[in-house]
Amino acid sequence: MAEVYKLIHPVKYFNDYINRNVRPDGRKFEDQRNIKLNVNAIKSTDASAVVKCGNTTVVCGIKLELAKPKAEEPDFGFLVTNVELLPLCSSKFRPGPPSDHAQVISNIVADIFANSKSVNLKDLCIVPDKLAWVVYCDMVCLDNDGSVVDACIMTLITSLKSLTLPKVNYDVETEEISVDTSIRTPLNINGLPVATSFAVYQQSPRSIVLIDPSAYEEEMCGGTGANLIICWNNGQFCGIQKFGGSNLSNEAEKKTLIIAKERSKLVEKVIETCLKNEIK
Amino acid sequence: MPLDYRRFNGPEDSIPYNYYTKEYLKSYHELHRELIDENGVRKDGRTLDEARSLCMFFARTDMISQAKGSAYIELKKTKVVCSVFDPREIMHQNEFSALGQLFCEVKFAPFSCPRQRRPHAPDAEEKALSVALRKALEPTVCRHLFPNYQLDIFVYILEHDGACLAAAINAAGLALADAAVPMYDIITACSLAVIGDQMFVDPTEAEENLAIMNPEKDGINNGLITMAVMPELRQISDFRQIGSMDVNCIMKATEVLQKECEKILPNIQQILVLNVVNSFEQQKQLEKEAKEREAALNAKMEEWKTLLNAG
Amino acid sequence: MGVEDENNFKLRPMKCELNYLSKSDGSAILAQGETVVLVSVNGPLDIKSNSQSIEKATLEVLFCGKGGKPSVADRFKENVIKQTCETAILGCLYPRTGISLTIQELEDYGGLLTCTVNCACLALLNSGMAMRHMVAAISCAVNEVGNLVLEPSYEQVQSSRALLHFVFESREKNLVTGFTEGSFSEDTYEEALARCRLASELVFDFYRDIVRKYSNVI
Repeated sequence: MAEVYKLIHPVKYFNDYINRNVRPDGRKFEDQRNIKLNVNAIKSTDASAVVKCGNTTVVCGIKLELAKPKAEEPDFGFLVTNVELLPLCSSKFRPGPPSDHAQVISNIVADIFANSKSVNLKDLCIVPDKLAWVVYCDMVCLDNDGSVVDACIMTLITSLKSLTLPKVNYDVETEEISVDTSIRTPLNINGLPVATSFAVYQQSPRSIVLIDPSAYEEEMCGGTGANLIICWNNGQFCGIQKFGGSNLSNEAEKKTLIIAKERSKLVEKVIETCLKNEIK
Repeated sequence: MPLDYRRFNGPEDSIPYNYYTKEYLKSYHELHRELIDENGVRKDGRTLDEARSLCMFFARTDMISQAKGSAYIELKKTKVVCSVFDPREIMHQNEFSALGQLFCEVKFAPFSCPRQRRPHAPDAEEKALSVALRKALEPTVCRHLFPNYQLDIFVYILEHDGACLAAAINAAGLALADAAVPMYDIITACSLAVIGDQMFVDPTEAEENLAIMNPEKDGINNGLITMAVMPELRQISDFRQIGSMDVNCIMKATEVLQKECEKILPNIQQILVLNVVNSFEQQKQLEKEAKEREAALNAKMEEWKTLLNAG
Repeated sequence: MGVEDENNFKLRPMKCELNYLSKSDGSAILAQGETVVLVSVNGPLDIKSNSQSIEKATLEVLFCGKGGKPSVADRFKENVIKQTCETAILGCLYPRTGISLTIQELEDYGGLLTCTVNCACLALLNSGMAMRHMVAAISCAVNEVGNLVLEPSYEQVQSSRALLHFVFESREKNLVTGFTEGSFSEDTYEEALARCRLASELVFDFYRDIVRKYSNVI
């Protein structure tokens, strides 16, 4: 019965829930979903992490390659991040090259990560102007149930934190390269960016902020994806992006900043616990 | 290769670092010798004719909330996810097709292969696997029940450690059953690698790689066979062989594979039966809760009635 | 053009010409400082049936960079403009139709995206599309010392620690869109937001000026 109601009166169905201060999946407005995190599940990668926020599942795998640095930046390595929204994760995506939406998500994740300055690209250089690491980070969404950016940032930073670089010997004279995989050094990571997504729903006269929205809630709030993404790192914001959805008042804005900060503490704890367990 | 404008690209000439490790320089014979030790045990501790079907086989359904049916299968390191969506009308169709169509897509994760990073664009191997999967599934699905409609089946290989087509078929079969698509039988699949007179049942990536690699000597059996079976009907729905081998070898392989496929069946059945049991229990729970709520409402109603009657 | 003090600041000089293109339904060319953008609006027009929406007009945004090659970053810019304009346009008046916005970057000396949003708003005004409200984009840079610079020039953008961009609507001055580059503290964010909100009034004044002049001519 509820299913039929949802199909015939989608807006009214959603409003009925919101009026009773509850969300369709039973959460309160400020509740977020459970986070499950696992590292190094995929052995063919150099580092990997799987995260599940509610139903949303994102896998990140890192592959290392070697290349010559760019001539204009001889002492910089490369870090290439891509987000893939597979056709299997939602019926909205079709097979083929990434859609505009996937590219927007990819760009947001790359921007947030670059702005957080977590990885110093100079650390990825082995011999200036000759050899540098290329770190390919591919984030794959297996199940898209909203707040994909949060999950992407979480897997990305977790897998980078567990990444180790094998030792490379470069002979300057013969230009010969040999890699010793038995000696590995961890990559230096500064800070820990944590992104939090919000959906802003206009129910006049008030606008309601939903934290960690599901795919259905994102759709009801009129956007493709979350409306507001706040990223907090090391006591600073490294990205506040708001698109579409309903317009946001000053008070609502302040509240979201506080929530984002609180959530970052929680996520930090989750990641640290997970990495600690892995070392044991 | 043209530059991909829809993704972030790394430098054009990057090379995986394992090209420079000692492992990479090993010859065919060295690699072959390494596959089995003197006791006839493989690298991962299995014997030649042992599949990864018992303790190393892990499968579940309901992986993906947005899909109609989904499955995840793990054969030790090989990890495969599959999702099936509702049938939808075929777009840009000129003629009426009496049989429903299956659209299968198999994709490798960029990080799935141990040797090198996979390109994002679909390559020949992915296309071949997609066709193989479609051919294997077509005889099992009751396609006459949804004419002019198309079923989307997406398979994603998270990690490739051999037998990925077999894993894909198993996962797709399970996902189709989970999506309640009418089928004639459950479909199971298994693969086998032949190197000389040795038969590696359910091969790993290293074994597969060596079986396809052709050393100079002719007349030696080498290759890869994947077979999909409908165990209850005792029919073969797909048989795929790469490499060259004599007829006796194929006959023997068929027998071995038939047995292995039948061994997988109880695993799949168990998952499906458990699903049904769980959903029944859930239904019961929901009904119980609904009744409780109704009773509470009725009690409220009585209360109000007495209040009203009292004036 | 930096800020002299909090209440008395000027924007970068803005120059605009409406109806720059003769064949489109509405167009505008806008220069903010040295950054120049050209936007043309066409619509409401007929579109393919599978991209039609029965509730509102479908907005299509095409961004052409100066180099001509498409990139992932361009899709992001399109998304920003699309989502911003969607809130501004009264799309429910034009169901089952499409509105297309074509943007050509001419010069980029910082603040390209804010200039684009403003130019898109002017082009929409020019096309006579029904709108809920106008939008004004303001950017703000945090320089090395940590001071805020509204509407930074090219050199200021290059040397800045962080860049914040905001888009406000004309009625309540609520935040419509916001995006940032670099990292910054919460106080900086609050202050930048408040000052950009004040500065947005200047942009709206500019809009009124332009439209008034234009309507006097016709």
